[in-house]
Amino acid sequence: MADSQFDSALDLLRRLNPRDTKQHLNAITSIVPDLAEDLLSSVDQPLEIRRCPKSSRDYLLCDYNRDGDSYRSPWSNEFDPPLDDGTVPSERVRKLEIAANEAFDVYRELYYEGGVGSVYFWDLDDGFAGVILLKKGVTPGGKSSGEWDSIHVFEATDRARMSHYKLTSTVILHLANETEALGEMDLSGNMTRQVEVDLPVESDASHVANVGRLVEDMELKMRNLLQEVYFGKAKDVVGELRSVSSLSESSKERANHAEMIRSMHG
Amino acid sequence: MDHTVEIASSFIEGAPPGELGDVVADIKALTESDDIIPSLAPAFERYNHKQLTTVRLPGASQEVIVSEFNRLEDGRYFDVESQTSFEVDHVTQEATGSQTYGLESQNADLIKSLLKAMGNHAREHYRSCSYGVYPIENDSAIAIVLVANRYSPNNFWNGRFRSVYTVPVSEPTTVTGQIQVDVHYYEDGNVSLNTHKPVHASVPSLSAEGIMSRIGAAERDYQEQLNRAFVQMAEGAFKGLRRQLPVTRQKVEWEKVGGTDWDRILPGGGDFSSPWDITLSTSARSGDRYTY
Repeated sequence: MADSQFDSALDLLRRLNPRDTKQHLNAITSIVPDLAEDLLSSVDQPLEIRRCPKSSRDYLLCDYNRDGDSYRSPWSNEFDPPLDDGTVPSERVRKLEIAANEAFDVYRELYYEGGVGSVYFWDLDDGFAGVILLKKGVTPGGKSSGEWDSIHVFEATDRARMSHYKLTSTVILHLANETEALGEMDLSGNMTRQVEVDLPVESDASHVANVGRLVEDMELKMRNLLQEVYFGKAKDVVGELRSVSSLSESSKERANHAEMIRSMHG
Repeated sequence: MDHTVEIASSFIEGAPPGELGDVVADIKALTESDDIIPSLAPAFERYNHKQLTTVRLPGASQEVIVSEFNRLEDGRYFDVESQTSFEVDHVTQEATGSQTYGLESQNADLIKSLLKAMGNHAREHYRSCSYGVYPIENDSAIAIVLVANRYSPNNFWNGRFRSVYTVPVSEPTTVTGQIQVDVHYYEDGNVSLNTHKPVHASVPSLSAEGIMSRIGAAERDYQEQLNRAFVQMAEGAFKGLRRQLPVTRQKVEWEKVGGTDWDRILPGGGDFSSPWDITLSTSARSGDRYTY
């Protein structure tokens, strides 16, 4: 596998329809199998839901809670299907993970009013890292549907009384509508943003608050960005392609307007 | 190799507006050679037909459409307005070998009137577009196609508006077809709008004016409907997914939600009680109030 192959695969996935990223990913790795591991860990896909057998609560699956074919539940810390030697976080980091899951459950109810969330942490040599996952789907009626997947991956590197946080956030947003008058409309995609910041850390509890605030700010920014791109930019481009009003009328109006201004200043 | 050709063909046919060249470059880099390209010719042809690719005629300034409707039996294509037939290299999207081509159709007058009417329609509603009117199905029907492209790769967006209509030569007649809009935005992400709207309208008389007024109305109604749909999606599904702020209009008080029962949490995991044991505390803190 060459670096250029990996870069081209990412470029291709950025161009082909984001609604079908999973199929495109499978297609690329079927012709260049060596890319599979790197692509799976760097391309975000809509999250899958699984029920934790021990707690009967739903959790989300991603590459970070996967070990072989098993996934670790954030609620029980156990793998499903069971693994004897599955990788789990250290005691300290698991404690942080539990606290973060509790905190983001509150966050999820406040902002999503439903949906499913999961937080997974893991140990690093000089700190720890984690992923915060949030998923919600809606079907407001008829053939209209929406699905939101948030994937926030961060690293917290220890510094003296501080921690350096690097957060990479992706939101995958699918919207679709179909009616007789509209036909089919699909507005789908994903956007990614990054932020790095140093924040004070008094105790381990500070980490949960720091990461929580970072994710909360990032999601607010990304929600605004998505709103701008999905409902502003996309609509504007349609208007660039075709004008509802008559172009000759509008240019006549512009000419009249310019003439009026000239005569006022004349 | 067959498998690779099949997959690369699907990538070609899935290329967004204005980005076919980028997709081809990616395919070459992924397969680490140019050798696959000739085997993809059928996929390029399907792409060009479906996407109403435009090509510049040799020595001419205007662009003409390549579609299934203006393909001649020998594989060349024709354009009625410029009275030209030409050869197309589907891979490079280049036209060569143009020759004079006289339209042979019993409906030549109607086709020419429709072209004129399409010209007016295009000037009124498209800043830049290409269109064509062709006899099809052994001269028993007429195809009307239009494509408008706007490419702005420096700003990471491209768009395409396509409409295809067929009209049987009969009186009364019907306009049957579809309007498709594709927009791609790809700055630090990949966002795609794809729409498909079937059109079906009856026309009492077989005249260019009658047909064009139906087409004009269908396109106008559709664009207005689409503009409303953007607003409905923003106000409906989008708002229902994630709130901009909690109902309380306060941001989360992370110290409280993350640390209240800190000592209760046992190391090493195991079950823990419901998160609703934690006080849902979002009371106002001074200076933390979000203002619109």
